Amino acid sequence: MRRVAVIGVGVTKFGLHDRTSAELFAEAARDALTDAGVSAGAVQALYYGNVVGGETEHQLHTGPQAASVLGIPSVPTTRFETACASSHAAFRHAVMEIAAGVSDVILVGGAERVLNVSTAESTEYFAYASDAVWEQPLGLTFPGVFALIARAHMQKHGTTEAQMAAVAVKNHRHGALNPKAQFQKPITIEQVLKSAYVADPLKLFDCCPFSDGGAAVVLASEEVARKHRKPVWVLGSAAASDWMLLGDKRDLSRVPATERAAAAAYRQAGIGPSDVDVVELHDCFTIAEIVATEGLGLFEPGAGGRAAEKGLTGLGGEIPVNPSGGLKAKGHPIGATGAAQVAEIVTQLRSEAGPRQVEGARKGLTHTLGGNTATVLVSLFGRD
Amino acid sequence: MTEPAVTARAFFEKARGGQLTAIRCGSCGELAMPPKELCPNCHAHQWQPVALTGDGTIASFTVIRVAPRAHAADVPYAVAVVRLKEGVSVLGRIVDIPLEKLAIGLAVRFRPLIGKDLTTSVGFGPT
Ligand SMILES: [Zn+2]
Repeated sequence: MRRVAVIGVGVTKFGLHDRTSAELFAEAARDALTDAGVSAGAVQALYYGNVVGGETEHQLHTGPQAASVLGIPSVPTTRFETACASSHAAFRHAVMEIAAGVSDVILVGGAERVLNVSTAESTEYFAYASDAVWEQPLGLTFPGVFALIARAHMQKHGTTEAQMAAVAVKNHRHGALNPKAQFQKPITIEQVLKSAYVADPLKLFDCCPFSDGGAAVVLASEEVARKHRKPVWVLGSAAASDWMLLGDKRDLSRVPATERAAAAAYRQAGIGPSDVDVVELHDCFTIAEIVATEGLGLFEPGAGGRAAEKGLTGLGGEIPVNPSGGLKAKGHPIGATGAAQVAEIVTQLRSEAGPRQVEGARKGLTHTLGGNTATVLVSLFGRD
Repeated sequence: MTEPAVTARAFFEKARGGQLTAIRCGSCGELAMPPKELCPNCHAHQWQPVALTGDGTIASFTVIRVAPRAHAADVPYAVAVVRLKEGVSVLGRIVDIPLEKLAIGLAVRFRPLIGKDLTTSVGFGPT
């Protein structure tokens, strides 16, 4: 298998936009190609993530739609849908295509537009990623799924609402250092704890926002990447799945797909959790970050809440998590999130992250979770 | 060709009459909720339907206050993962239990919920 590198990244500002998701992707993709120093003509495939385009934009066939708007209509393109992990799934398949020697340069990205519809409408569309026969008719929502996980984690490990709030405060502090973030204002523990319940015990400020945005990265074979100024190598990229139905999951305080994907990615890279310097992980809700830090092996099971409260995951802490502000503050345009996380880790490993730079970061990790925890992808990155 | 032991449609028809149904693997004894073609434990296709008592305890719960459009008129409402006595779990809507009384470990009993569109879904109420 050949080595694969990321040689270019691009991300739009996240938040409200008056452009289609294809236009948002195209902006990010043009920036990524410019950053890579490769012409659009060199791109041999587009792997694309988009989730609710059919619902919010009445747009399916979003792969060729994105390629057409970018201006590379003739490349083979496929849209991936693994709920919120879609562009991370796209990324992993592009890595495999280059590693296998089929292509040398692939564009990976994703985009989402949801702020053109009401919150009640987008809440319904996001719930489509849970089971339509067994769970949607009960009025289950995404905050509801993670509220069930939060309650189980609190019961088993004594995790508190204040510990969850500490995650939100930390990610907003980081987001204030990111000019692309949807929210760039610090918040306090009191603000989080006093915000209204969305699905007990999760409150408004435990939840990431609905967002529009696009992200793209350029992947290249070692031969192409060697000509680039700062290639960031893909050390491992793994996916895992789990039961769709919440009732079929044996222990709601854990996310087994995170544990399995992380184990596979660490094995591919030949490193362990203690070798990782910076992490971008899927904090769709504050409890999701706590459970992910445990599943990735950064902390013992049950210790994630206390670690967040002690500041171990902040910039300057033991293992900085979500220096971009995470989904919580940077925003979560679901089709774009996986690619945006890769863009942040590449920026960190190139030492180009400015005020949110993790000093001396050499190895990074991205973790993206799909919907009801039935999909997880984990990738590992390193610089020369 | 073999028919599945319990289809989703068959499950909800039984549920409408007050009966929850699981499936047990004739090869390894695994108990599961339908529909499943193969046993996730041994990959055999030897399911037999098993009638459940409908008695269980709350494994986790939440009170939903921001709902999808179709459920907006119901807020606040509770959903819970219920661990049934026989060992399988299922998500259900909680009915006729005050929200402040909800707790992990609380005993509940199955009851069918018939929607406005006459579809059946899983509910749990007091024992
Ligand atoms: Zn079996």
